[in-house]
Amino acid sequence: MGFLTILQKMKQKEKEMRILILGLDNAGKTTLLKQLNGENVSTISPTLGFNIKSLFYKGFNLNLWDVGGQRSLRSYWKNYFECTDGVVWVVDSGDKLRLTDCCQELHNLLSEERLMGASLLVLANKQDLPGALTLSEIRDTLQLEKIKTHHWQIISCSALTGNNVLLGVNWIVGDIASRIFTME
Amino acid sequence: MISVRKIFFNFLSFIIIFFSHSEPISEEFLLCKKIVAPDDVLKLPFITKNYLCPPDANIYDIEFVRFKIRDMETGIVLFEISKQSQTEIATTVENVDLETDDDAHTGRFVRYQFTPQFLDLKTVGASVEFTVGNRPVSNFRMIERHYFKDTLLKSFDFEFGFCIPNSRNTCEHIYHFPELSPSLVADMINNPFETRSDSFYFVDNQLIMHNKADYAYNGGLNE
Repeated sequence: MGFLTILQKMKQKEKEMRILILGLDNAGKTTLLKQLNGENVSTISPTLGFNIKSLFYKGFNLNLWDVGGQRSLRSYWKNYFECTDGVVWVVDSGDKLRLTDCCQELHNLLSEERLMGASLLVLANKQDLPGALTLSEIRDTLQLEKIKTHHWQIISCSALTGNNVLLGVNWIVGDIASRIFTME
Repeated sequence: MISVRKIFFNFLSFIIIFFSHSEPISEEFLLCKKIVAPDDVLKLPFITKNYLCPPDANIYDIEFVRFKIRDMETGIVLFEISKQSQTEIATTVENVDLETDDDAHTGRFVRYQFTPQFLDLKTVGASVEFTVGNRPVSNFRMIERHYFKDTLLKSFDFEFGFCIPNSRNTCEHIYHFPELSPSLVADMINNPFETRSDSFYFVDNQLIMHNKADYAYNGGLNE
């Protein structure tokens, strides 16, 4: 039994999942995290570091990491890739101007070796905004159909109202579980 | 000659590693150690009487600026103290009293006073907020050990990993309260401040911060 196998077994035993929440600044990552955990989402300031939530959900110990998305912080994202089981990519559906930037950052991320095994959930956030781009518009602009290396899913949601937020989490937790914890 | 020495030391370290996995470690031993590692404190059978590192071991300027505890079932914030506001919020459910001692260790020790109802909570969210100085921190890890008298109630181990220079970070652990027997609960209520915790913080497996707290659960009973 190799070292990696042992590590894998340990992870299985504890049923731990590490999920990174990334996206451009002002995408709604922290709002998503707080909404999921029943916290007030009315006053949220830019994240200048990380926010972690560690909780039990559906028999798993979920570690959710929301890392700040400002341009100056993005170069630090790579420090959080290790052992990541899933990535939630949060998109501001109202921010049409930066959608190409958003597309590029996403595809950069997907080329990272340490994220190779991770499931990808794209959240088309801020659907409560008038004029928000639709799910299919975002799927096309972000060129999601091109992704062959990762299990992926796109779901439209509003982190502010909470609409569809759980649906997204359930998908990624289920996808990770079916990949990692099926050997028992 | 060198190789014989090397073999001898390898053998010695093997023996130490072999036995250290089963043997508890004493605080006195750790006080003499130059570098205290996570594996060391995980073997402490009792609460420490001393701090296992000086305040200036924190060369990364890591500073805790907020502590918060909320009841996940009602959403009520039971306890919150933050550096910015210098105030504490005591809510209806708990009578919270916080003091820091005024000896040389100011800021490293916190006293919590809860009402007995605190021990009835099912699920709580405990969060901290901390800032980091102007150098990056790698492998930041926290080990927190809670004891009642000489019994370890809970040992908590969490790896923050990397922290961005000049960052402000938060971490909330949402957990089910450990099941405590009614007799232990009664004991804890009747013995204020016999429930204690050691919080150890490591960077690259070296102890850089050690904080302590004690707890009473008899708030409101003697008034």
